Amino acid sequence: MTGRSHRFGLSPRFEKISEVQHKGIRAGRISREVLPYLLSLPALLVCIGILIPFGTAIWYSLQRYRLSQPWNRGMNWGENYLNFLSEPDFWNTLQVSLVYAGLTVVLELLLGLGIALLLRRRTRLNNFISVILLMPLMTAPVLAALMFKLMTNPNFGILSYFMQLAGFEDFRWGSDPSTALFTVILVDIWVYTPFMMILLLAGLRSLPPQPFEAAALDGVPRWQQFWRITLPMLMPYVLTASLFRLLDSIQQFDIIYALTQGGPGDTLMVFQVEAYLNFFQSTNIGRSAALLIILWAITFVLSNMFVKNWLRLRERARGEI
Amino acid sequence: MQHQSVLENWLRGIALALIVLFFMFPIFWILLMSLQTNETILRSPPSMVFSPTLSNYQAIFAGRLDSNAASLDIRFLGNLWNSIILSVGSVGVALLFGVPAAYAFARYKFRGSEDIAFTLLSFRFAPPLLVLLPLTSYFQTLGIADTYFGLIWVYQLICLPLILWIVRGYFEDIPADVEHAYRIAGHGWFATFRNIALPLARPGIAAAGLLAFIFAWNNFIFALVLASADKQPVTVGALAFVTASGIQYGQIAAAVVLSIAPTLALALYAQRYLVEGLSLGAVKG
Amino acid sequence: MSVTAGLSVTSLSKSFKDLQVLDKVTFDVPKSETLVLFGPSGAGKTVLLRCIAGAVDADSGTVQIDGDDVTQVPPESRGVGMAFQNFALFPHMNAFENIASPLRAQRQPRLSLAETVDSVARLLKIDHVLDHAPRELSNGQKQRTALARALAAEPGLLLLDDPLRNVDAKLRFEMRLELPRLLADRQATVVYVTQDYKEAMALGDRIAVLDQGRIVQIGSAAAIYRRPANITIAKLFGDPVINLLEVVPEREKQAISVQVSNQQIMLPHAADDVIGRPCMLGIRPEDIAITAPDVPAAVPVSIEAETPLNEKIVSLAITQRGRELLASRPADVASPSAGAAGFLFNGDGVMLFDRESERRIDMQSDSGKKTA
Repeated sequence: MTGRSHRFGLSPRFEKISEVQHKGIRAGRISREVLPYLLSLPALLVCIGILIPFGTAIWYSLQRYRLSQPWNRGMNWGENYLNFLSEPDFWNTLQVSLVYAGLTVVLELLLGLGIALLLRRRTRLNNFISVILLMPLMTAPVLAALMFKLMTNPNFGILSYFMQLAGFEDFRWGSDPSTALFTVILVDIWVYTPFMMILLLAGLRSLPPQPFEAAALDGVPRWQQFWRITLPMLMPYVLTASLFRLLDSIQQFDIIYALTQGGPGDTLMVFQVEAYLNFFQSTNIGRSAALLIILWAITFVLSNMFVKNWLRLRERARGEI
Repeated sequence: MQHQSVLENWLRGIALALIVLFFMFPIFWILLMSLQTNETILRSPPSMVFSPTLSNYQAIFAGRLDSNAASLDIRFLGNLWNSIILSVGSVGVALLFGVPAAYAFARYKFRGSEDIAFTLLSFRFAPPLLVLLPLTSYFQTLGIADTYFGLIWVYQLICLPLILWIVRGYFEDIPADVEHAYRIAGHGWFATFRNIALPLARPGIAAAGLLAFIFAWNNFIFALVLASADKQPVTVGALAFVTASGIQYGQIAAAVVLSIAPTLALALYAQRYLVEGLSLGAVKG
Repeated sequence: MSVTAGLSVTSLSKSFKDLQVLDKVTFDVPKSETLVLFGPSGAGKTVLLRCIAGAVDADSGTVQIDGDDVTQVPPESRGVGMAFQNFALFPHMNAFENIASPLRAQRQPRLSLAETVDSVARLLKIDHVLDHAPRELSNGQKQRTALARALAAEPGLLLLDDPLRNVDAKLRFEMRLELPRLLADRQATVVYVTQDYKEAMALGDRIAVLDQGRIVQIGSAAAIYRRPANITIAKLFGDPVINLLEVVPEREKQAISVQVSNQQIMLPHAADDVIGRPCMLGIRPEDIAITAPDVPAAVPVSIEAETPLNEKIVSLAITQRGRELLASRPADVASPSAGAAGFLFNGDGVMLFDRESERRIDMQSDSGKKTA
């Protein structure tokens, strides 16, 4: 054993402690108070880095500000927002954004839930399929849009060819106002359904087996089992996943911008596309900023709901370990 | 525990086959396109019978495309390189900054910690253009408009919240006593962080890092708004490529394949981590 | 600076939000002595230990180790060893590295480090599993590894947080025999936390009883057993639990006595001020002798049931007033058959508690016995 022991009166250890003590008082006290702030300083800076442009955007939104008319720039306070009320373009944007978000989330939820139910049992095949289904989700949405653009090309696109076989001679996909929404939603479904599926599958597999065993013993038919046991127990997951998707979907930019740039006409002018084009093409910066602030207000409400749900789910998942 | 009829098994099999077909077909078809010349692509009706060629990839890697009409510079390889720098750089910076912060949030309940964490999280969900559009002028003023540094800094908006929240959960799962034991054994806080907390949170750090990499790689809007032509990643580059090369569909397909290959490969390689990360720790898969 | 005090804790307080966990805790542990911290769960024992180790900051008060104020010193510089109730082994290090961790902190040369780990491991009989990861160890081996880790650097102050709590009964029994020798050999100052009164009595030079964040009594095992400060402590120590009877002392000729089921029990040492005060009479089961029902001074009872408990036999009896009483005797002492019997109280074992404050009322004979 090492010979350092307190047994021999004022041992070396004794001196060591008093020596450390002086340093300890300072280093100990300061580091305990300041250390966490020091550690999170970079994250703090990023926070500030976000808040500054955010403040700027609010400021812009309260201005009459067009790059093409620099002489005309000035505060007009709420005028940008007030103008929206009487502006059909704005209502169109709001409507398209909500319809897009609503349709994608509902369709992806139904499809994702269906797939999750099919893959529920942990067989090797099911696990393999769920891994494969990760691939669309890992594809950049803008590249997925490009892939569909290639596949819906009127000259050689395979999907156009299929439509022709199905009797739709002149199916124009994204370039026809009547099918443009269908096309972008198709791409959105292709990319994001796996996200729903993964969350719901993980939720399904984490459900306790006892209620199902009890129901089987009681002879509850399986379709009733779904409505009476599976769905209610899965509800927190459904809610969290749907809110998360809703948050993303109402801000969709990549897919729509890459496929149609908001067109044809203003069929697909969702918030971010409209704001982007306002900023860079018509250089109406005040209006662009006001649009984004309104979008932000919508997402703020949604994100608060999501975070609350998510934290509860997270607590529960971690409590079970 | 469940009785399944033959019919039901058949229906289940057919449904699964359709699902796999729907989700795999686009990737498969684009891969086929990338191996064809324009002539075979434009055949009608489309056919899966053709003699594969690597000429599209060769053109991209050579950086030049010589067709009978004209020759065209392809900058796509530069985009690929930018994507790598931006993604790796962003994840590296996010890990460097985010992991210590996650540790601080998990271990020290200091004043304002929850506020900072929630601000970062809520901005993950804010419209990106809201921050990006004002940033364009700031970037000009600061002189970082044309630098990797500026983009990597903005990419923290995606990467940092992800890392912070996922890794924080993992740090919180380490019993405090294990860290106490190490400190009482005579090690300072940094040694404890490095030798106990970091190794034990490694799966979470891997999951978060991987996911942050994929999100950074797949990001489009940040670079579209802020990156100058020579700093654009593949997502922006591919779109520009479509406009530039016009009807060279084979090359476009090859560019798409090259752009999605890294994230798909990562996804297949580390799918377990991904599932964990995707649910942000809400579900233990 | 007193060299005799291995550890002194002065007026240590700690609260979490509104909950006061430690309330002005003060005690000393002389060098090389073992103090057992005993108390029900939630009493604040674990938090107190953590405050001493520096893992948790106290709100106020001081901790001195070997005469040095270490209240502001970070845990790594306090020179203490600690074993945790849940072992808190480093899951990604094997047993060897776990035990070596305090030595690595001291930057011991590799050779002497391996030697030290080896000798501690042999002492604790885990030298054959040193290359195992914690998850490959049995609970007993984990516990020994945790103990070895705490001992490895020969700390002057050793904090053991209920180390036998999570091991099986057989091992607990073995370790209870082994530990005192191990601790004595090291001559370390030890604070040992436990919820088990037998463990407390077996291990401690002195026992400090903690209840709701306060030290309610410090003393030798015998002193706490025979003269508990209040009813709670009297109940915590002893198995089967102490008998408690509501009584009101009265004057009987020259002496003071209480009435238990028609039988006068004399309290020869009680002071006059207890007369007429509502009290509880405490008598431990082993201080009751079972006699024939007609023995003078014995409380007449009827024995309802007998059951063996450890090496004793416990009798449950009911007095004529319907009160339950427990008596215990060594297993080899023959019993009078069930039915009517007499319970004879050993006068020295009788305790009196104030019914309102629940504190024990000192009876004068105690002062003469304070030698332990």
